[in-house]
Amino acid sequence: MFKKGIFAHILISEQIKDVEECLIQFESFIRAATVEEPSPETLRVLAAGVAKCENAADDSLRNMIDSLSGQYLPATRQDIIALASSCDRIANKCEHASRTIVIRKGRIPKEFANDLIEVISLTKQEFALLAQSITMTFTRLNAFIKDHHLLDEIRLLESRVDVIEEKLYEAIYTMDMEPALQDRLAKMIELICDPSDIIENIADQIQIMLITRKA
Amino acid sequence: MGWSLGTNDAANAFGTAVSTRVIRYRTAVIIIAILVIVGAFLQGEGNIGKLSELAQSNKVIATGEDVSRAIEQDAVESLRWKSAIKAAIIFGCAGLTVFVMSYLKFPVSANQSITGAIIGWGLFHANYSDPAVLGVNLPQIGKFASTWLINPLGAGLISFVLVFFVKKFLEERLTTMRSYDMLVKIGYLVAGSIAAYSIGVNSSASVTALYFDAAYADTDVATNILTDARLTAVIGGVAIAIGVLTFSKRVMMTVGGSIANISQIDGFLVIIAMAVTILLMEKMMGIPVSTSQAVVGAVIGAGLVSGVKNVNFGVFKRIAIAWVSSPTVAGLLTYLVALATQNYLA
Repeated sequence: MFKKGIFAHILISEQIKDVEECLIQFESFIRAATVEEPSPETLRVLAAGVAKCENAADDSLRNMIDSLSGQYLPATRQDIIALASSCDRIANKCEHASRTIVIRKGRIPKEFANDLIEVISLTKQEFALLAQSITMTFTRLNAFIKDHHLLDEIRLLESRVDVIEEKLYEAIYTMDMEPALQDRLAKMIELICDPSDIIENIADQIQIMLITRKA
Repeated sequence: MGWSLGTNDAANAFGTAVSTRVIRYRTAVIIIAILVIVGAFLQGEGNIGKLSELAQSNKVIATGEDVSRAIEQDAVESLRWKSAIKAAIIFGCAGLTVFVMSYLKFPVSANQSITGAIIGWGLFHANYSDPAVLGVNLPQIGKFASTWLINPLGAGLISFVLVFFVKKFLEERLTTMRSYDMLVKIGYLVAGSIAAYSIGVNSSASVTALYFDAAYADTDVATNILTDARLTAVIGGVAIAIGVLTFSKRVMMTVGGSIANISQIDGFLVIIAMAVTILLMEKMMGIPVSTSQAVVGAVIGAGLVSGVKNVNFGVFKRIAIAWVSSPTVAGLLTYLVALATQNYLA
C-alpha cells in the first residue's frame, strides 16, 4: 500500500533536535550579545555555532523529504513537508538574526538583556510544546484532534513574547538616538522575536492538519 | 451514448479520490473499466429486461404482437428499420439534451434523459381514448418521477447512517497518521470499485436496451440488432469502459465538494452509500437511476451528521432543478420529434 520506510515523525524528530540545538546556540549568542561590552570574536564564534546547527537542520529536512517519497498519501506528504519546512524556518531565522547582529556590529542595550533572554526562553518553551504536538499529530492523531490544548499553550506563550516585543519597541523609540539607529535596533529585536511567530504559525498549520483529518 | 456516460459517470466513482491524488488516475480508470464490464455481465441483464419493457410499452421497440402483425403483413424488414430509427431518435434527443444542458453548465443525468426520452415518445403515441393505455403510461411517469425523490433520499439516509456509525467506530481506532492514510486509501479503492460495479449494473442498460429485441424469445424473429440480453448489457458496459479509458480525466479532476463540507473519510463513505443506493434502486424500481442524484443525496446525508449548517442548500437547489429538467427536456424534445415523424414511424 505505502512504501516501507522510516516513519515521518522519526524523521521530523531528527530535524527537531537540530532546530532545538539551534535555539540553544541562539540563546547563548543573545546572552553574549547583551553584555556590557560584547566581544566581536565571541559573537562570531557563537554565530558560527548557530549557522552550523542551521546547516544540520537543512540536511535533516532534505533527508526527510527524500525518505518521504512513496510514503503516506500525497496530501499528507505535502503537509509533512510544509511542516518540516516551517520548522526549518525557525533555524533560518536564528541564523539570520545572529548573522545580522554580527555583520552590522549591532549593539543591543544592556537593559534589554533580561527581556530578550525571556523572549528566547519563551520561544524554547513554545518549541518544546511544538515538538510534543508534532509527535502527537503522527502517533496519537485522534486523541490530539479531540484535545489540542498544547497548541493553545503555544499561542499563549507567543502572546507573552508579543507583549515583551511591544514593550521593547516602545523603549527603543523613546531612547535618545538617531531615528535610523532606532529603526536598526527595532529590526534586530524583530529578528530575535521572529522564531516565536513562526512557531505559532506552525501550531496553526498543525491545527489545520487535524481538522482536515477529523474522522 | 455509452462513451459519453463513461466520461461523466466515472467521476462519481473515483473523482474525489483522483482529484485529491489518493488514487492515481491510471489505476482508477483501469478499475472502473474492468468493474463496469463485470457489473454489466453479472447484473446488467436484469436492467436490460426492465428497460426494454418500458421501451415496449412506450412503443419504441417492438412487442411480440407487433412482430406477429409484421409477419402477417410481410413487413418484418420495415419493423427492423423502424426499431433502429426510433432508437437513434431517442438517443439523439437524449444526447442533444445532455449536450445543450452541459453547455449551459447544468448538471445532467444521461440515464434519466434516455428514460425521459422513451416516455416522451410513448406519450405522443399513446392512445388516450384507451383507459388501459393510461393505466400503463401514467404509473410509469409516476414511478419515474418518484426516483427523483427516492434515489437521493435513500442515498442520503444510507449515507447518514453509514457516516454516523462508522465515524463513531473509527474515532477511537485511528491512532496514527499512517493508519489514517491507509484507511483513506483502502476506503477509496473499495468504495470506487463498488461504485464502478454499480455503474455497470445501472447504466449499461441505458445505452443498449433500445437495441435489444425483447420479443425475440417469444417470436423467434429478430426485429432488432441484439437478441441476447447479457451480451447487450456487456456491449453497454464496454462502451462505458471505453469512455472511462479515453476521456474521463477532465471530469474526474474537476469533481468538487461544494454541497457540504465533508471529511476524506466521509468522502468514501458517501461513494459507498451512492453505490448501494443504485444497486437497491435497480432491484426495487427496475429503471436506471441517476448516479449524480445519488451522490448529491449521499453528500447531503453525510453533511447532516455534523448538523444542518454544514449543508449548502443553495447548490442543492440548482442541482435539483437539473434533475427534473434533463429528463423533462429530453421527453419534450422526443415528443416533438415523434410529432414530426408520426407519418413514417407510427
